[in-house]
Amino acid sequence: MPADDEITALIHAGRVQEAFERLMPAYRRRVFGLAYSLLRDRGAAEDVAQEVFVKLWQALPRYDGRAQLSTWIYAITRNTAISAMRKRRRSLSLSDPVVEQEVESRGAQPAAEPADDALWRAVAALPDKQRQAVTLYYQDERGVEEVAAMMGLPVNTVKTHLHRARAGLAAALGAAGKEDS
Amino acid sequence: MNSEESRQAELDARLRKLFAGVDAGVGFDERVMRRVATVAATAPRENLRAQFERRRALLRRRLLREAWMSSITILGIGACAFGLVWRFAPDIRHLATGQTSLSDPNVMIGGTIALLGGAVWFVLRRVRG
Repeated sequence: MPADDEITALIHAGRVQEAFERLMPAYRRRVFGLAYSLLRDRGAAEDVAQEVFVKLWQALPRYDGRAQLSTWIYAITRNTAISAMRKRRRSLSLSDPVVEQEVESRGAQPAAEPADDALWRAVAALPDKQRQAVTLYYQDERGVEEVAAMMGLPVNTVKTHLHRARAGLAAALGAAGKEDS
Repeated sequence: MNSEESRQAELDARLRKLFAGVDAGVGFDERVMRRVATVAATAPRENLRAQFERRRALLRRRLLREAWMSSITILGIGACAFGLVWRFAPDIRHLATGQTSLSDPNVMIGGTIALLGGAVWFVLRRVRG
């Protein structure tokens, strides 16, 4: 990614603030998308994305360029999201299971007004990795390579997840269509 | 395009539409910059506190290590002394009962070693203190 080279050059030149200002718009959607694909909650994903950028701001002066900038950012995002998920599970496990279910189902929706309820339900029913691959792949029409980098998985594994997810969605939507008619 | 491909294309389009809106809310960049400014303002104070905590932890570890080393040294010296007394019990008994004079070479060597050991221990204690 050409922006990565520019950002890395700025960091190495000691212009960290400038690098951060370039980095945020370049990575905002991807960091948010990755957090959202893991957390399935817009509010929690936004909190995590903010936390990731604060961490990046603190860590940028120490970035040595050994790992690719994107790989480094995705690793920080995944770790932050996983920590948030653990915290959330701990706090939810203390609350009423009915409230928990309600929060989960509301938070999981991608928009305030889901346009395609049947599809959303089918996506939500997919196994975690398949759902994550589908979310990242279709959020910005990314290549499989980039989705693999974001998930920290081999490209072929992501292709398999996507293939199975599409098959699963087609089957679920077909079944839902038959039920409706 | 056969029906399978068209179904797949339709599914792709629906998925793209479903996830197109997945983005941070309006004003996200400003919120991040506010948080960064807050962190930047508190960072020097936090750094000082972290530095103090780190030094305190280091000191605590050093004192603990020294306490262990002192215990091991005392135990070692005690074991050596006990072994020597055990080994030379007859000679000590003879010395105590006046059957061996202080000018005996064995007594003189033993006494010198004991004196040197005591002096080294005293000097080491002074240096550490």
